[in-house]
Amino acid sequence: MKGTQLGEFEELILLIVGVLYPEAYGLAIRQEITGQIGRKVAIGAVHSALNRLEDKGFLKSELANATHERGGRRKRLFHITAAGKQALQRNYELRSSLWNQIPDLAWKHLNYDCSI
Amino acid sequence: MTAQSDGSKPPRSADRFLSWFCKGKLLEEVKGDLHESYRIEKGEKGRRRADIIYWYEVLQFLRPFALKRKSQNPNKTVMYRSYLKFAWRNVLKHKGASIMNILSLGVGIACFVFIFIYLKGELSYDKFHNDADRIHRVVIDFVDSNQRRLPDATTPPALAPALKRDFPEVASTVRLFPNWGSKFLIGAPDDKKFYEEGLIQTDSTFFNVFSFPMIYGDTENALDYPDQMVITKKAARKYFGRENVIDETLTIYGDENKTYRISGVLEDVPVYSHFKFDFLIKIAFQNLEQNWGWYNYYTYMKLSPEADIAGLGPKLQPFFEGYQDKSQYYNIIYSQPLTDIHLKSNLKWELEANGDINNVYIFAVLAIFVLIISCINYLNLTAAGSFRRFREVGIRKVYGAHKTSLIGQFMVETLLIVSISLVAGNMLSEVLFKNLGGVLKHDISILDPENLGIFLGICMVVLVIGIVAGLFPAIYFSSFKVALAVKGVFNHSGRSILGLRKGLLVIQFAISASMIFGTIAVYKQLQHMKNADKGFAPEQVLVIENMSGVQNQETLKAELLRVADISTAGLSNGIIGGLNWTTGLGYPDAFTMNFLEIDPGFIETMGFEFIAGRNFSSDRPTDAQGITIVVNETGLRELGMTYEDLGKNLPMGNQNDSTVRDGKVIGVVKDFHFTDFKKEIRPFAFFYRDRAMDYLSLKVSTSNLSQTLGAIEDVWSDVTDGMPLEYYFLDQSFADLHAREKRLSGILLYLTLLALFIAFMGMFAIANMTVKDRIKEIAIRKVLGATVSGISNMITRKFLLLVLLANIIACPVAYFIMQKWLEGFAYRTSLGLTLFLLAIGPTLLVTWTTVGFHALKAALGNPIKYLRQG
Repeated sequence: MKGTQLGEFEELILLIVGVLYPEAYGLAIRQEITGQIGRKVAIGAVHSALNRLEDKGFLKSELANATHERGGRRKRLFHITAAGKQALQRNYELRSSLWNQIPDLAWKHLNYDCSI
Repeated sequence: MTAQSDGSKPPRSADRFLSWFCKGKLLEEVKGDLHESYRIEKGEKGRRRADIIYWYEVLQFLRPFALKRKSQNPNKTVMYRSYLKFAWRNVLKHKGASIMNILSLGVGIACFVFIFIYLKGELSYDKFHNDADRIHRVVIDFVDSNQRRLPDATTPPALAPALKRDFPEVASTVRLFPNWGSKFLIGAPDDKKFYEEGLIQTDSTFFNVFSFPMIYGDTENALDYPDQMVITKKAARKYFGRENVIDETLTIYGDENKTYRISGVLEDVPVYSHFKFDFLIKIAFQNLEQNWGWYNYYTYMKLSPEADIAGLGPKLQPFFEGYQDKSQYYNIIYSQPLTDIHLKSNLKWELEANGDINNVYIFAVLAIFVLIISCINYLNLTAAGSFRRFREVGIRKVYGAHKTSLIGQFMVETLLIVSISLVAGNMLSEVLFKNLGGVLKHDISILDPENLGIFLGICMVVLVIGIVAGLFPAIYFSSFKVALAVKGVFNHSGRSILGLRKGLLVIQFAISASMIFGTIAVYKQLQHMKNADKGFAPEQVLVIENMSGVQNQETLKAELLRVADISTAGLSNGIIGGLNWTTGLGYPDAFTMNFLEIDPGFIETMGFEFIAGRNFSSDRPTDAQGITIVVNETGLRELGMTYEDLGKNLPMGNQNDSTVRDGKVIGVVKDFHFTDFKKEIRPFAFFYRDRAMDYLSLKVSTSNLSQTLGAIEDVWSDVTDGMPLEYYFLDQSFADLHAREKRLSGILLYLTLLALFIAFMGMFAIANMTVKDRIKEIAIRKVLGATVSGISNMITRKFLLLVLLANIIACPVAYFIMQKWLEGFAYRTSLGLTLFLLAIGPTLLVTWTTVGFHALKAALGNPIKYLRQG
């Protein structure tokens, strides 16, 4: 199952593709990452991740209409596939299940630590 | 409208680059995203920033997913392997040509590597100090009444504290007081004693300014007390046999023996430091803070990080004048950056003979010259060898070889040769330049780990040059017309390549000829300086240099004069040819004059010729009072005197208490050179003092030198109770004055020989090929009755004409450059016609022998054999 593993950055991109639906393309995703998370990434990095995700079957894409800002070039719009949704869901469930298993005591300990 | 002027578009070069490497499938969306992003960035940050960001983003696409797949052919490696195999076979097939190629390129690379490392060393002087850019040396130009400036590296001891006090910009200052030519007898407790020159007296702030790394001890308080001493690792080994010698003691023997406690051990002083030492102690003199009169300290200051030397510079002169007595003219004070001292400063009393920025330029040019010659050679040899490959290329084309694959084939061959040369060159640089280490004062090795960067850099440069040199034949070959190529018809296209070869040959020999010219000119100047009439005779003069410790000097002198082979002996407090102290002399306007304190025997020992007046005499008590002087001719002239004034009491100098003091010139000696020949002869004065001196000079006959030396040592140890004897011959130290020219001449000679060698190899190979090309013509001529000499003349004449042309181009250029160089000398040789002939000679000789050899070989051979060939 190596090919279908979701990396941290990939997961982020996948989620943002969902958020931006139906207008998810390279630059918009980059702006969203910068805006929401405050992380600076190169467009090249975003494209690279998108490319990988598409290879893994989590994303599908098509070329949209040309716009003037892009010098008449078309953008490639991405949307999540069923497999992509599944992968996200699995990750989400895994995390929340792990989260719920953390005993309250663990947080108490943290609180105690902080109050000193 | 170009893209550059259209404000909305990103840099076109970046776009082109992107299109070049990016997969076509991705290109549209990627470019679209990038352009959109560019518009946004430009709106926010302006054009320049946006351009930079755009480039950055483009480069970020250099990831595997975006790169073009050049070819889908999995057999690429097989093909490259076959290229390599063919290349190797070709190298082996033409062994002679390959070896010449590799050797000539290798020698060129070796020269380049060597000079590059040498220059890196020269340029890296004093850069190892932390914040070296903030450290400056303060120096002074002495100004005399004629407004002449005498640049001098030394400053008064009060300067450093005053700088620190008066300028908030100055973070710390330090003074250095070197050994000033004397030798210190230093001993360890266990009786190991050596004479040492590398003792510097300094301030406790030494390590605030300089950063010599300390292995043991603490730089903070290593020089806080007058009984502390910091030594180098080397000195620690020498005296104690180990490195950690903190709290051990060393004694400096002198009038009173003083014992020091070692408070720190330093790493050895780097080669690239403009002053070197083995021992540091605190300055022992008192009351220096008000002393503005002694000029014998070196002053360094370190500025605070926010200070600016440009702001401080103009304030120095008013500050300095504020501390001086009112005067009509003041000495001029200024500062020089620490890192400039080695190459750009050439003052009197430098701590060490400095380098010369001009030599750096000369060597850099030479390095490039030699590399150019060897690259031209390579190009020439490859181009010349091209005819052999003509049919091969034709056949390859017939069998469907692409242009690209042909270029690939030739490039692989080029790369193979270049890589072998690169390895050979680096190994050669180790071997060829081993013996230049002595000339340059330190060894140079590419194997030094710190030269790794250079090594890689040079590899890159040479590979690029190799590729460029190989590209020409590669492209040229691959564009043959197939039919012509297979038929072996290349007359038409061959002419242009022959023209190119000739042109390259001319360039090559022009460079060689100008280098020969330069070498001979430098050598001639060196000889000129060596053989010039110095006005005295430093030959056969033996100087004993550790006299300062001898109590009964007169006895020693008298005893030595009894040795049969010693004709005369003289005491002095300095030597001619070293650096001499100066004093102000003349009335009413004083000028600066070099002087020596001597005894009557000195003038005779040195062979100074009296023109007028008399020598000092120990029978006249007034002579030894310091008001009678012997001057040289220039000195007499500068004093404004004539020979009639000899023996009269004349006002001659202002004393410190501003009374005028009378002096008496009793003798005039012939002008003599006491510095290098770059400067005019300057005034010089001798005073007679009847007191202990530092040097004893002996005129010895060289007939049975070892016996004489033995006798001297016997007398010495009798009189001095077994002190070690330290001596040298004066002409030796005089030769050191020309060290810089000698170094230049040595390196130049070496490089010229190598350049000539490379050119010779090129000529050899080309002559060989020319003769082979014309072998049938030669055979037919012979059959029809041509003589051997006629044939060889016919071939050599053309080459000789080319080389002559090269010389005609080179000589005026070289003459002009060398004339400029010679202008730096007050006493210079002339560049006459013989020099031109000497420069032209070797190149013509090389041509004549190499071409003649091949021509003769062809002409002497059996013509039938040649005619039957292929």
